Amino acid sequence: MELKSWAVETLAASTVYLFAFFLTFEALMPVQNLFFADFYSSASLMFLPHGVRVLTAWLLGWRSVIALLPGVFITYAYLGGSNVFLPSRLSGIAISVLAAPLVFEFVARAFCDIRSGAQTEPCWVCVMGAGILAAIVTGVLTNLAFGSPPLDYFAFFIGDVLGLFVLMLVLMLVFRFIRLRGKNA
Amino acid sequence: MTDISKLAELRRLLLGMERAMGLEELSPVERDIYYAATELSNQPHGVRTTGLLSHSLMSNVSRPTFFRALKSLVNKGYLSQSSTSRRGVYMVHSPQV
Repeated sequence: MELKSWAVETLAASTVYLFAFFLTFEALMPVQNLFFADFYSSASLMFLPHGVRVLTAWLLGWRSVIALLPGVFITYAYLGGSNVFLPSRLSGIAISVLAAPLVFEFVARAFCDIRSGAQTEPCWVCVMGAGILAAIVTGVLTNLAFGSPPLDYFAFFIGDVLGLFVLMLVLMLVFRFIRLRGKNA
Repeated sequence: MTDISKLAELRRLLLGMERAMGLEELSPVERDIYYAATELSNQPHGVRTTGLLSHSLMSNVSRPTFFRALKSLVNKGYLSQSSTSRRGVYMVHSPQV
């Protein structure tokens, strides 16, 4: 594969990841804090970047690790500053980029290959299922790495699954709008 | 796979979601005609109107409703009139993504 293609997909995936991250933390989290003022955890209940991770892994497979790495690293640096190089943070970064492609690989070996480009018809329910599995893997491993309280596991899980579903829903509506506008033009 | 085909794959994935949510733009009669046409499309030289009209899915559909829906399917790009055959023969197309 050409270096240029790697660069393009890395730039695109990381940019989309950063956009989803800042949308979540700068726009959705303040709203969440208004409605759930007593919610102690810093976890987002609609974590859109998980959707980006899952869809990128579905589209690119293992290449998504490289494609998302710059974006994930920047978000950890944004939140943790120089602490980004602590072992727990580096583990968090690794888990973030590895969980989804690992789950797709596991599903491909154990059941059937549902990734983009496989011989099967794209199946959004299967992608949601893989996203839920990836949310469990990410939540358990990340919270182990950070030593978070048990309730955080559930908060991360709900945030990841809802984030994936909402992202797919928004993309579906955007594509639908583009298609219908194209037909009416 | 090129960047464009990746985008097309993503659109195909989300088109499945759109269908599952009942948001696709076909009416029930249009959908039935399309299903029938898809089933009959393995015949050579396209699908004939008479074949569609006699399909079991069309048993409760009046002729005016059938022809209105057929015209609408052509306008939406799901069917097209065969360029090589005489009138009343249609080619089936995949929904646009």
